[in-house]
Amino acid sequence: MVTNQDSNAIPGDIEGPEGIKSQEMLLNMGPQHPSTHGVLRLVLTLEGETVIDCTPVIGYLHRGIEKILENRPVMGGIRYMDNADYLSPILNEIAYAGAVEQEMGMEPPRRAQYIRLLVGELQRIASHLIAVGTYGLDLGAFTPVLWTFRDREGILSLFESLGGSRFNVNYLRVGGVLHDFPKRWLQECEAYLDQLEKNMAELETLLTDNEIFDARTQGVGYIDPQQAIAYGLTGPMLRASGVNFDLRVNRPYMAYREVPVNVQVRQEGDCFARYRVRMQEIWESIRLCRVAIDQMPGGPISTRTPIALRPPRGETYFAIEGSKGELGIYFISDGSEYPWRAKIRGPSFVNLQILPEILRGHKISDVIAILGSFDLVLGEVDR
Amino acid sequence: MHLVSVTAGDLGSELFNGIFSWSFLQFIIAFLSFFGFVLTSAVILILAERKIMGWMQDRYGPLHTGPWGLLQTVADVGKLLLKEDIHAALTDKSLFLLAPSVFLAPVIAAFAVIPFSPYIGVPGTALATGIVYYVAMSSIDIVGLVMAGWSSNNKYSLIGGLRSAAQMISYELPLVLALVGVVMLTSVLSSTGLGTISIRDIINFQSSSLYPGKGIPFWDFIFNGFTPWAWFFLVQPLMIIIYYICGLAETNRAPFDLPEAESELVSGYATEYSGMRWGLFYLGEYGNMTIVAAIASTLFLGGWAGPGVAFLTAPGMAFGWQFLGNILGIVYFVIKVYLLCFAFIWVRTTLPRLRADQLMQFAWLILIPVTLGNILLTALVYLILNSFGLSNLFFLIVLGVLNWLLLLGFIQVVSRATAATTRRAQAPAIRARRSAPVPPEAQLPERAGITGRQ
Repeated sequence: MVTNQDSNAIPGDIEGPEGIKSQEMLLNMGPQHPSTHGVLRLVLTLEGETVIDCTPVIGYLHRGIEKILENRPVMGGIRYMDNADYLSPILNEIAYAGAVEQEMGMEPPRRAQYIRLLVGELQRIASHLIAVGTYGLDLGAFTPVLWTFRDREGILSLFESLGGSRFNVNYLRVGGVLHDFPKRWLQECEAYLDQLEKNMAELETLLTDNEIFDARTQGVGYIDPQQAIAYGLTGPMLRASGVNFDLRVNRPYMAYREVPVNVQVRQEGDCFARYRVRMQEIWESIRLCRVAIDQMPGGPISTRTPIALRPPRGETYFAIEGSKGELGIYFISDGSEYPWRAKIRGPSFVNLQILPEILRGHKISDVIAILGSFDLVLGEVDR
Repeated sequence: MHLVSVTAGDLGSELFNGIFSWSFLQFIIAFLSFFGFVLTSAVILILAERKIMGWMQDRYGPLHTGPWGLLQTVADVGKLLLKEDIHAALTDKSLFLLAPSVFLAPVIAAFAVIPFSPYIGVPGTALATGIVYYVAMSSIDIVGLVMAGWSSNNKYSLIGGLRSAAQMISYELPLVLALVGVVMLTSVLSSTGLGTISIRDIINFQSSSLYPGKGIPFWDFIFNGFTPWAWFFLVQPLMIIIYYICGLAETNRAPFDLPEAESELVSGYATEYSGMRWGLFYLGEYGNMTIVAAIASTLFLGGWAGPGVAFLTAPGMAFGWQFLGNILGIVYFVIKVYLLCFAFIWVRTTLPRLRADQLMQFAWLILIPVTLGNILLTALVYLILNSFGLSNLFFLIVLGVLNWLLLLGFIQVVSRATAATTRRAQAPAIRARRSAPVPPEAQLPERAGITGRQ
């Protein structure tokens, strides 16, 4: 993005009223800051409390995940995908496993596809819950974040009984999934979804119906549709600007070819619209989970794959609709057990690029409101 | 003590007599009791806040220190006292070290005019200018915050300090104007036609002798001096709401906690502080909360008034009963104060933070006109009804009804104003959307999912 030299520029002088000399102020927000969602650093040029310019500096959470993937067998790389976007690990795994399957020309069994849809939508709910809750925290509301973490806890417990691990689930396999459901897992899942619907209604009254919340978010951080498309935004951010684009519908993959998705679009293009799109997508994901549970087919959960998986020589690009946008894997194989290159197209990274453009002219408080509405995960930006 | 007439020879004996005099001892005890009250109530409030917030947020709150976590705040204060007193190299040292004390001192001083019970009053409670004294003390607070923000040599602190100055000065005005309504009521009710700003007198105005069943011992016991229908919050409900909102802003608590907005300014003016100096800021904040609640309960909720207080402390009762009555008075007073503090905590769990410009707009465009209008309304209603020769009781009823209607109107106006300002903020976006051509649906090649290797 930019180097540190840019951010060390000398601030310019401003001619104040009656010849009073004043200076722009450089404010270094992050990487240690409560609400830059991890370790994003923003170098803000301020005039009073108004932002004139903003320079995002990234790379504080770089772990070289793409390089690690090159040095692990294909199946072993799935576990490292968990850490890229650490708030939606299962979706990352689906993207990686799907890319390898596409490269190998392999189709997972129907049951495995539906299981992927179910856990993927649960993961989307979990990710959006965090996004909404922390957005409330950014705006100064303390309660929503604790409520959403409580609700997310149920999803993590479900994953724990499914894959053995709460956070980095490592549940996907090339050609299918690791385990079938434990006993009564689907009933537990349905009970959880019932509870979640009640809690979501409560959350809507706490946030959406709150006038201060409306005043803080409406009309702030407007992105018009052309701009959104030009910057390559995807996911809730694009749909909040009125562009009807969702990979689950426009380029359906796996079970989404059979399960129709209602794409959630808002026309306002501001922070409130982005928040609303996420809330509506939670409701939509709850519906999709129920559909998946109802239509869950029988059969095997995985195709037989060799232990030493050797994808054929070639390259492919496979993208799914992640919780933050188009999550793509550009996979190049040289025919060996190790991927020659696995490039992750992280939606957070692409979405971040529009930040300086729309921050200009807003106040410091709005910086946080806008940044929070982006739902960035720095693990995915820096990888 | 007349220090002017003291000669060098008897300075020693004057000093001796001064220090060991009865009044000096009274002041010492008064100061210690305020300080003890502020400290303990801060400790209790912090614990209560954490427990209540935990209850509202589906979690436990402090649990492991002492029974039910009751000793958590005590342990925290102990930790703060033992911490190293750090200050960064480039701070303005003298201002930096002084600022917490400058912030805390007026808070404790403001307690001097709060009467806790009918006779247990410290020397200051007799002060005839109680409200003015309180307002003055709550204004001086700002100096401490600005000092902290400026001397920290930190941009976040600077912005926090300046925000607090702007905010507290703006909200000082509607706060005072809201209290003027009460003072006007006292001037109507008093026999001489002169109002009072002494807090003790205002409490007495609210304990009228009009109650049913006078002479029956049981009713006497309950309602002597305890007349909730004469409390001023019934006559001026809008004013207690506005006073309370301004109190929230004065104490820098959510939704007006911009100066220390955690998610924006890290910790605002307190960013560079640690240890007990940081603790003093928080002590001041919770002390401020208590004093705002105490003033609200004395001016609008009858202060110490409650069943049995006036009966037991009436002249002619035995000393033991008098003592019990005073204790009862303190209990009622503290209950009222803590109920109002509970509302502070409740608001904090519910509401997000306002933006700085919205905050200023709310004070200058809504609160100040409304409070000024209320003063005008009170005076007009009194003049009109008085010219018809109607009684004070009728005046109170008419004013009360009008004020309750105004309260409903106020809620309407605030929600309308919020909607209007957000619509105005959205206007450029809406205009841009109207002028822009309708974007095409994203034109991306449709592909039927996984088709195998390419």
